[in-house]
Amino acid sequence: MTVIARRLAGHLARGIVMVLVVATISFFIIRNIPGDPIAARYQKLIEGGASPEAAERATAVMYGFLPKGTLWQQYLDYMSGLFHFDLGISVTNPGTPVTEVLAGAAKWTVLPVLFGTLLSFLVGVILGVYAAVKRTGKLGDVLAVSGSLLHGVPQYVLALLMGAIFTTLLPILPSDGTADILYEPGFNAGYIGSLVEHATLPVVTYALASYGGWILAMKSSVVTVLGDDFILAAELRGMKRSVIFRYIARNAILPLFTILALSLGLLFGGSIFIERIFNYPGLGFLLIDSITNRDYALMGGAFLLITVAIVVANILADLFYSVIDPRVRSTEEVS
Amino acid sequence: MPQEAPGVRVDGLTVVYRTPAGELPAVRDVSLTLEPGTITGIVGESGSGKSTMALSLLNAVQPPGRIAAGSVEIDGLGDVVGFAGERLRKARGAHIGYVFQAAQNSMNPLKTVGKQLLDLGRSHGVADLRGLVREAKELLARMGLDGARVLDSYQHELSGGMRQRVGIMLALVLNAHLVVLDEPTTALDMITQANILKIVREVHAERGLTTLVITHDIGVVAEVADRLAVMYGGRLVEQGPTRQVLGSPRHPYTRGLITAIPRLTGDIDEARALPGRPPTLATVPKEGCVFRERCPLRMDVCDTVDPDAVADGSRIVACHAVNVREHA
Repeated sequence: MTVIARRLAGHLARGIVMVLVVATISFFIIRNIPGDPIAARYQKLIEGGASPEAAERATAVMYGFLPKGTLWQQYLDYMSGLFHFDLGISVTNPGTPVTEVLAGAAKWTVLPVLFGTLLSFLVGVILGVYAAVKRTGKLGDVLAVSGSLLHGVPQYVLALLMGAIFTTLLPILPSDGTADILYEPGFNAGYIGSLVEHATLPVVTYALASYGGWILAMKSSVVTVLGDDFILAAELRGMKRSVIFRYIARNAILPLFTILALSLGLLFGGSIFIERIFNYPGLGFLLIDSITNRDYALMGGAFLLITVAIVVANILADLFYSVIDPRVRSTEEVS
Repeated sequence: MPQEAPGVRVDGLTVVYRTPAGELPAVRDVSLTLEPGTITGIVGESGSGKSTMALSLLNAVQPPGRIAAGSVEIDGLGDVVGFAGERLRKARGAHIGYVFQAAQNSMNPLKTVGKQLLDLGRSHGVADLRGLVREAKELLARMGLDGARVLDSYQHELSGGMRQRVGIMLALVLNAHLVVLDEPTTALDMITQANILKIVREVHAERGLTTLVITHDIGVVAEVADRLAVMYGGRLVEQGPTRQVLGSPRHPYTRGLITAIPRLTGDIDEARALPGRPPTLATVPKEGCVFRERCPLRMDVCDTVDPDAVADGSRIVACHAVNVREHA
């Protein structure tokens, strides 16, 4: 237990350093993007003949705050704000704290993308096993080709295709938004049904887009394990097929957990193309919006959220590994 | 379950592998008898077909290979070449134990030895799993290991010699009386090799087994085997009691093998390497003797006629030159 605790402490320390470094880098990069809307507004008012004080007041009222001091001063303010989970105020949504904006968008991203990822993981892994076992037959070929094909098609092409098929050619699903405005948001059948209906296309598209990667990864992993001596050994000892199947599955799925953890971390980046095409107000959508509008605080917040998510996902993956793979556990005990 | 050592009769066994160049034989028309309670050694270079031969005893030749002809008759079981499905699975492990090379990872790296022992027991419908664990601990203790500790270990926590003993335990724990050991001492250090061979000999005698040892190391065979069979290019070229074969080898290949061993005493140059290289699946001659390319006694007949295995007392030799001389 102490081993795990020590491990966790090390991970946390490294994770925090990493987050701070990323926050610093993104702060300076973002501030160097040309086209600051607040400065532009201020400039416009001055040009329009307003006094500096009036212009400052008007800008502050409009955006809810005004950056002051040198870049260093702003940086220190920003970092000290971080420790209070204060990421500043969004410019595109005047007066709203970034954390609130992010939380609002996260609910439209996390569940659908999580669902899509797990769905494609499950289907991809199971079919990957079949593709490996039947790799010399027709079924194996079909599965492998389907994987390569879906893996190769860019997400936005897939999204446009799905949209064209299911909203225009065969209009059975809504094309955009999160729910019909006819329904009162809340816990009622109509609203929830509408939510599910609207989420279907983004989720399915997301699952399809990532399914190819899973099936290919699982197939090659299973093929490797099938060639391992202990599988033949188990067969020669007369082990039951079901036992051997479990041996194969557990050994083959190990490397996939790293990829799964990483994609769960990336989940907080949303899916830019899919959210854009289906007009789904998730984090990817928000990120694009914040960049177009030069909403520094929001941009920084979104980047930070992605960083933290990936760091946390990696820590969890590592801890999870030491639970499922005894070899990882014991190297730690030795060192 | 047979309570005594079974005899095994391999007759006319031919194993072919499917390749782009058609089906090529890895083992061709091999006949071999394992007398009950004996240790037989099969020696050969890599690619001689000895491992394929070993797998055939469990009807476990891996695709793209298959047994094309012949039979493997095991006392109390029948001809395993005709076995399939559940019948074959239950014969493996329970009647025929198979021990892998120590360097091969013959255990699931994610489960302890004990858990895999239970998997084995459940696979074979062992009702008394506690008894199985007790038996495993006794076997491990017999081989000089702390049974409880080993059962609680993962494969990566065991040394090569320990793994090999665990392999032997897993082959015997279901009370199999026919045991096949494939390169049991390869990749082990000298002292561990000697230990394992001692264990093989002792356990063989104590439990009343029929044992087949596959190796490329004549020293191993000399140490443990009662009978010795020499394989070359998928053919059994010579067999007989170990002492006789090693003391007065008849087949030119066996002779070449023995003169190629460097002696501990005397000049290193006395060891003479066999010229040429062994045939591969693709270069094994379709007709005639498989050894003729490297043979000092080559005759015209060797190019066209595959020599029959001719018995002379307890010796069996497949060579035109030797058999002509003996029978002339």
